[in-house]
Amino acid sequence: MSLVYLKLFIADVLPYIAGAIFIIGTINRVINWAKSPVPLKIPTTCGQQKSLPFIRRTWEDRLDSPYTMWETIGRMIVEVFLFRSLFRNTRYWLDKQKGVDTRWLWLFALLFHYSMLIIVLRHLRFFANPVPGFLSWINALDGQPAYVPALYITGILALVALFWLWARRILCSRERNISYPADHLILALVAGILITGNLMRYFFKVDLYAVKEVALGIVSFHPASAAVVNQIGWMFFLHLSLVCITVAYLPFSKVMHFAGVFFSPSRNMPNDNRARVHINPWNPPYHGISWQEYYEMYKDQLDEIAENGYKVKPEV
Amino acid sequence: MEDVKKVKIGDKEYLKVEQKFTSWRDLLKPVTEKDFKPGFYHYPILKRDADQLGIPYRDWDPLEPDWHLPENWKETFLNKFKELLEKHRQFKLFMDICVRCGACADKCHYYIGTGDPKNMPVARAELLRSIYRRYFTKVGKVFGEWAGARELTEDVIKELYYYLYQCSLCRRCSAFCPYGIDTADIVWRGREMLQEIGTVQRFSYISIAACARTGNHLGLLPGGIAGALQSVAEDVYEITGIEIEVPINKKGADILFVAPSADYFATPHWYVCMGYIMLFHELEERYGFTYTWSTYASEGGNFGTFASYELAQKLSHKIYEEAERLGVKWILGGECGHMWRDKHQFMATMNPPPKTLEDPVNPITGTYFENAAEAKMVHIAEFVADLIEHKKIDLDKSRNDHWKVTFHDSCNPARGMGLYEEPRYVIKSVCNYFYEMPEHSIREKTYCCGSGGGLLADEVMELRMRGGMPRAMALKHVHKRYGVNYLCTICAIDKAAFPTLFEFWKLPVAVGGMMELVGNALLMSDEEQERELDLRGNPLPGKEEE
Repeated sequence: MSLVYLKLFIADVLPYIAGAIFIIGTINRVINWAKSPVPLKIPTTCGQQKSLPFIRRTWEDRLDSPYTMWETIGRMIVEVFLFRSLFRNTRYWLDKQKGVDTRWLWLFALLFHYSMLIIVLRHLRFFANPVPGFLSWINALDGQPAYVPALYITGILALVALFWLWARRILCSRERNISYPADHLILALVAGILITGNLMRYFFKVDLYAVKEVALGIVSFHPASAAVVNQIGWMFFLHLSLVCITVAYLPFSKVMHFAGVFFSPSRNMPNDNRARVHINPWNPPYHGISWQEYYEMYKDQLDEIAENGYKVKPEV
Repeated sequence: MEDVKKVKIGDKEYLKVEQKFTSWRDLLKPVTEKDFKPGFYHYPILKRDADQLGIPYRDWDPLEPDWHLPENWKETFLNKFKELLEKHRQFKLFMDICVRCGACADKCHYYIGTGDPKNMPVARAELLRSIYRRYFTKVGKVFGEWAGARELTEDVIKELYYYLYQCSLCRRCSAFCPYGIDTADIVWRGREMLQEIGTVQRFSYISIAACARTGNHLGLLPGGIAGALQSVAEDVYEITGIEIEVPINKKGADILFVAPSADYFATPHWYVCMGYIMLFHELEERYGFTYTWSTYASEGGNFGTFASYELAQKLSHKIYEEAERLGVKWILGGECGHMWRDKHQFMATMNPPPKTLEDPVNPITGTYFENAAEAKMVHIAEFVADLIEHKKIDLDKSRNDHWKVTFHDSCNPARGMGLYEEPRYVIKSVCNYFYEMPEHSIREKTYCCGSGGGLLADEVMELRMRGGMPRAMALKHVHKRYGVNYLCTICAIDKAAFPTLFEFWKLPVAVGGMMELVGNALLMSDEEQERELDLRGNPLPGKEEE
């Protein structure tokens, strides 16, 4: 009997708590950043600046060193969707005394993030009735129909990429050195979610109609009844509670980079510093010597320059 | 932190740097004076400079266990930390969003050169992040070490002092960071906090204090500047036979010219300075161009950008004030690295430009420098490239035929400004032999000389030689392959640092600036006899004595 209460709690109460913590926490974090002003325009310019008309500027330069608002938006899009900066990654080989391109981190990071995105989109079909067309397409594209039930490629890819990223933190000495327990914790949580999700789909199957009822109940604020909840296998509750714990943890973790990247002044500001001057709201008044004070300090020498007609001639 | 071992490969002995890596716990354990190595730590600030700049001073030695930190140092430090978080969004953000992916790790030339894990950019930022978590986040307060947080102790201050002054603010890591975390900004803020408790290095504060007093880092008085420019003009006379009058503090000129003070003081900067006045003289003769040097605004560089916002503002203020007083139309800036980070990204924000300045239009070609529309300051490479494109000056490329040239992108004009093609355009127009260094060491991936950001001090020589290693190796590649014998750079600190670095790494390559090559190639209309010598006094190609 008590198990029903636990199931009801996980299905009907926990998502609201986690969702509330996530939303309030994220907004809090973003407001906290937004409260501090940006004193200086500090884009990292990774391409040719806009200057003279005959100085060639390729489209890559425009994205890496944007001058207009649209170029800056372009830079952000390329950064957020294609991980431009990680694509630039190199590795320095001491013995060869040179850096060489290494794109593995970029590849697996991209695989992981896109797989997660598609997985989240796939899950949206539980929350909508009828299911919108594009969600069905994603489902159809992702599912590998040779197997029954259709094998979701992203479910496997995300797990592979995650373990690659984790192995890097454990096996590579440099990354091991900079990996805090928090870095392992978030990987463990996501690994737990992915593993339980895959197990649930292929081995410990649950009643999807009941799951959909629970999901619809959450979004429509009509929590599912004990009878519905009881039809669902325990793996679902393990999966859902891991999701809830993770979602509630996000605002306090490094995963906030998903919001932070949009605020990063070295990426989201155009390289037009000299054309459009940035205003610092708290710019302090100047404290230092003025020309007049300078003149009084070095009067005799400055007067001598004046006597010579403000110029020096070579003595030949 | 690292071990150097002798390894035998074949019949040759090599030195191998072995890195010792441990766990995150060691990342949080502070490195203190017991582990400070000579050649890596800086001498502390001098009383004279501290008193002048209002920085708390006491007599202390980095190698002593007791650093005599001022009373309430902890409170002072944390209050400053809080203030900076509230004032700088980027700083607050960079404290929060790092995921420790490690993409920045081997991008730092100090990490590559020293093998010290604490020199990874991420580890350098973690020095401050660990304090941030402990005192400004709930998770850090509750979980302490397990959340990567640590107490602020005297040992932590020692570690901050040691490692924040092992960064040259080159921003190479920032180019590779997926979130654009700018370690230079973090280190700048960290040094600002250290300044609050007087725990800062000697080298850059000598220059800052001198610059606040006299207008230039070297502390040259007006008479000294005039004398130095006179000597430059005399050297030009010896080479070209032209008596050039150099205008100083002249009111009503079109353009105020501002160069780093090293240009009229040190070598090989000197040849660049000769190049400046030769070019300006030629423009004056042919087109009636007028310009002036200034003794008040006698420094383009800004060591304040290595220390704090307020000091950066203090040192860059004079440029606009002087431009307004002299009634010039706009300002032209010389070859310098961090100067251009300041002039491009900071100066106009810190000191609003005066309304008396006019649109930056090249008086000779009529080109409007649209990208400098509001700040009214143009880089010499942009100016000269424009002149060459419009064929306003005559050049003889063959005079630079004794040089096989490569170009070193200086960190700040590269990653803080985007000045890549203009100097290349000029160099290719004035010399026949130009070779690029390997792709991973130029443009936005350029390596630092190892001595920027206030690290040009002699007491950190080993750090500088190690930090400059990647650049030296890239140069070695083109030196062996193409016989490159001249490294052209547009940064005054590069020009001061490289000769020592190349001597250390056994590279017989001369160091010089873009304007030296321009000066060499420049055909001057009032030059009567044929030129025999280059600006260094060496015979020009084809003019060697038989």
